[in-house]
Amino acid sequence: MEDEQSFSDICGGRLALQRRYYSPSCREFCISCPRLSLRSLTAVTCTVWLAAYGLFTLCENSIILSAAIFITLLGLLGYLHFVKIDQETLLIIDSLGIQMTSSYASGKESTTFIEMGKVKDVIINEGIYMQKVIYYLCILLKDPVEPHGISQVVPVFQSAKPRLDCLIEVYRSCQEVLAHQKATSASP
Amino acid sequence: MACRGGGGPGQFPSAVLSRVSPGSLSTYRTHTHNICMVSDFFYPNMGGVESHIYQLSQCLIERGHKVIIVTHAYGNRKGIRYLTNGLKVYYLPLKVMYNQSTATTLFHSLPLLRYIFVRERVTIIHSHSSFSAMAHDALFHAKTMGLQTVFTDHSLFGFADVSSVLTNKLLTVSLCDTNHIICVSYTSKENTVLRAALNPGIVSVIPNAVDPTDFTPDPFRRHDSIITVVVVSRLVYRKGTDLLSGIIPELCQKYPDLNFIIGGEGPKRIILEEVRERYQLHDRVRLLGALEHKDVRNVLVQGHIFLNTSLTEAFCMAIVEAASCGLQVVSTRVGGIPEVLPENLIILCEPSVKSLCEGLEKAISQLKSGALPAPEDIHNIVKTFYTWRNVAERTEKVYDRVAGEAVLPMDRRLDRLISHCGPVTGYIFALLAVVNFLFLVFLRWVTPDSVIDIAIDATGPDGAWTPRYPPSKKEGKNNAMSKTR
Amino acid sequence: MGTQPVADTEEAKWQKVLYERQPFPDNYVDRRFLEELRKNIHARKYQYWAVVFESSVVIQQLCSVCVFVVIWWYMDEGLLAPQWLFGTGLASSLIGYVLFDLIDGGEGRKKSGRTRWADLKSALVFITFTYGFSPVLKTLTESVSTDTIYAMSVFMLLGHLIFFDYGANAAIVSSTLSLNMAIFASVCLASRLPRSLHAFIMVTFAIQIFALWPMLQKKLKACTPRSYVGVTLLFAFSALGGLLSISAVGAVLFALLLVSISCLCPFYLTRLQLFKENIHGPWDEAEIKEDLSRFLS
Repeated sequence: MEDEQSFSDICGGRLALQRRYYSPSCREFCISCPRLSLRSLTAVTCTVWLAAYGLFTLCENSIILSAAIFITLLGLLGYLHFVKIDQETLLIIDSLGIQMTSSYASGKESTTFIEMGKVKDVIINEGIYMQKVIYYLCILLKDPVEPHGISQVVPVFQSAKPRLDCLIEVYRSCQEVLAHQKATSASP
Repeated sequence: MACRGGGGPGQFPSAVLSRVSPGSLSTYRTHTHNICMVSDFFYPNMGGVESHIYQLSQCLIERGHKVIIVTHAYGNRKGIRYLTNGLKVYYLPLKVMYNQSTATTLFHSLPLLRYIFVRERVTIIHSHSSFSAMAHDALFHAKTMGLQTVFTDHSLFGFADVSSVLTNKLLTVSLCDTNHIICVSYTSKENTVLRAALNPGIVSVIPNAVDPTDFTPDPFRRHDSIITVVVVSRLVYRKGTDLLSGIIPELCQKYPDLNFIIGGEGPKRIILEEVRERYQLHDRVRLLGALEHKDVRNVLVQGHIFLNTSLTEAFCMAIVEAASCGLQVVSTRVGGIPEVLPENLIILCEPSVKSLCEGLEKAISQLKSGALPAPEDIHNIVKTFYTWRNVAERTEKVYDRVAGEAVLPMDRRLDRLISHCGPVTGYIFALLAVVNFLFLVFLRWVTPDSVIDIAIDATGPDGAWTPRYPPSKKEGKNNAMSKTR
Repeated sequence: MGTQPVADTEEAKWQKVLYERQPFPDNYVDRRFLEELRKNIHARKYQYWAVVFESSVVIQQLCSVCVFVVIWWYMDEGLLAPQWLFGTGLASSLIGYVLFDLIDGGEGRKKSGRTRWADLKSALVFITFTYGFSPVLKTLTESVSTDTIYAMSVFMLLGHLIFFDYGANAAIVSSTLSLNMAIFASVCLASRLPRSLHAFIMVTFAIQIFALWPMLQKKLKACTPRSYVGVTLLFAFSALGGLLSISAVGAVLFALLLVSISCLCPFYLTRLQLFKENIHGPWDEAEIKEDLSRFLS
């Protein structure tokens, strides 16, 4: 089963949430941002080049122009490779654990896996972010020493920052899986 | 009609039946309020303002209102926290400048405060303490956003020196378009009306309260072979520690069976230690140092007489706490103190060593002759005087009244600032108000209100923590909220 | 609040107490509101001539600075022989010294317990040291440009006037700082004089006019106010005359300054006093009037 819904992020941008239900114990959520638009790319490039040209007319040194070209190229590469995340995926399998994958615009992927034994709970929390107060989904990890304590809070969908309605959808499904896991681990 | 939307079809006719005037219709519509308390002073900081905000909020939640508190971050305590009964506290990361008060530029706190006001759907901003820059900032922003404002003043100010002239001017600016002001005593009301040049009709007097169950007498804890005088205050000049340093040797020489217990810390502790050293009173004067609020009662019940030497005081909580513990109170006659307790429970003196010694001697002779009422009797009288429920009830009336009033629109607000605050200050702040408004317009353009998530209420009519018998649809959200603590 | 029956409203009188629930709304304003307000309790009434008399301290100090600068100018121009100034200064100091004891009949001396021998000793020590060090003073500021020296002297003399103890009880007053600034200015100016003897005499003169003269003035003012007024007038006219011999414009400006300080400012003060509105009431911080230090000494 697979469905796709459209939500928005905290700045009002559009996000798409894809849910794939493989089985009651295994679900995948995938939030994808719109790809880098040609318009914003053009705008940034034009601004840098215009600024460079302005500087060039002032001090008449052609190094500035070539530097501008290099800066835009390198900046674009760096941006695509290290900053711009196109897609964030949360895969939750009740007997195994939770895997979070973020794929960059360049195609690079980084993956974090948390095994189920460490996961205490998945919650929605509130926090102050820049000049905003936002909701975010996070995973609580168990403290290995003290079973009721929390050793770490791992935020999910860090780059997309979806709004509350989207988070609630994901949260509900995760809770269902976690409940299923508790039920199966308690019964034998 | 606006009131039809909020009241619900079932309640509307009853409102018409019970209250006839059109003004009360609108108050009915806003029967519960979304209140945002703003002050720089809140727990973990300790003091009168902090406990006032906390207790008032708890009682308002109990009465079905939604209450949130906004303060600045205290060390590692930043972000959002929930206290008892779902009282939500925002600890905002703003820079502290002096004495736990934040620095103010009048603008930098607008983005965060606006975000909070919008997401919590706040209708009334209630600021506390004139020493708190954040409280004034919040009032300023709230008026720009068109929200109703209430301000509580907890302190008294003089008119003589340069610093008070300046702070009084700022208070005039801050309060001239505030909807309602609450003072803690009649003296404080007179003071605030004079300082901010207000119409006394928009200033209400609602005293502080103490929790009488926290301050119960325990006559077995005190030794009746000796007489113990208890002092609990910060040891600073304004609390009259200098007077205390004169009273102790005077009376200790006269009465060999007199002991002092002094709780509190401060820069003037050194002079008490010097006095103790010089007159060899180590076994009769105990300096306990800083006290936790929960220990105050245990110190109070060890004494027979409570001594307060304050030089200025808007409403003295300490003497009410002491009287509630069954002690005879001896105090200076300053500020609002004469209004606080009836004459048979307090001995009022002039702020001088001689007069205070006479007052204490009177109390001692009454104690020796057995003319004082039993601690339990005093407690039973005092516990009826001040309760937080009563405070919340009266504050609620202020909210109801304010909710029916209109917030001044921008042009009238500017007029009022210019006409009310003097030509120079008025124009400066009118300009600042305009800049603030433009900043708000800019913020609304960058993040429109529709993009801001409405927060899930923890308290109030639809609050996740409000007890309800049929399980609601929002069970999942409830879970989410309760786990964020 | 609502605990008492409404029928009581007619008889019930409002009380300024918080512990009773009264049948009035919380924002009720009684007739007794602000009845404890007092205005101008501690305001002083000023008499015009008394203020003029007090302003003479400022006049004296301004004239001292003026005389000092005029004398320095004469020395710098070579119009005044240092020996002559030294002689006059010594003579007037001796006269002042005798007067100082005569005015109050030697009471001040008895109180302080200072002997004449001690006075003589300190005078000798001072003169010897200044004389010994005057060549150093002369060369001390050689490497500094003259403009800087002038600017510095102006600032120092201004500072002297600002911090001088005119009898006001303010935090800014510091007679030591004031005297030090004046001496510093004199050292600066003296270093621009032609010879080291000049420098020595200039510094000695500065001590006389900035340290000894105000002491004598204070005593004069306290004991014989009438002669003090005479001395002030005489001193002011001589300062004006000295300035007039250098620059007529300067003398006119200086005369205007003196007149405005001694006549206009007191007039303004007494006038503005009428507009004073100092508010007092029960909210004021109480003052501790007793001397509490006796418990610690």
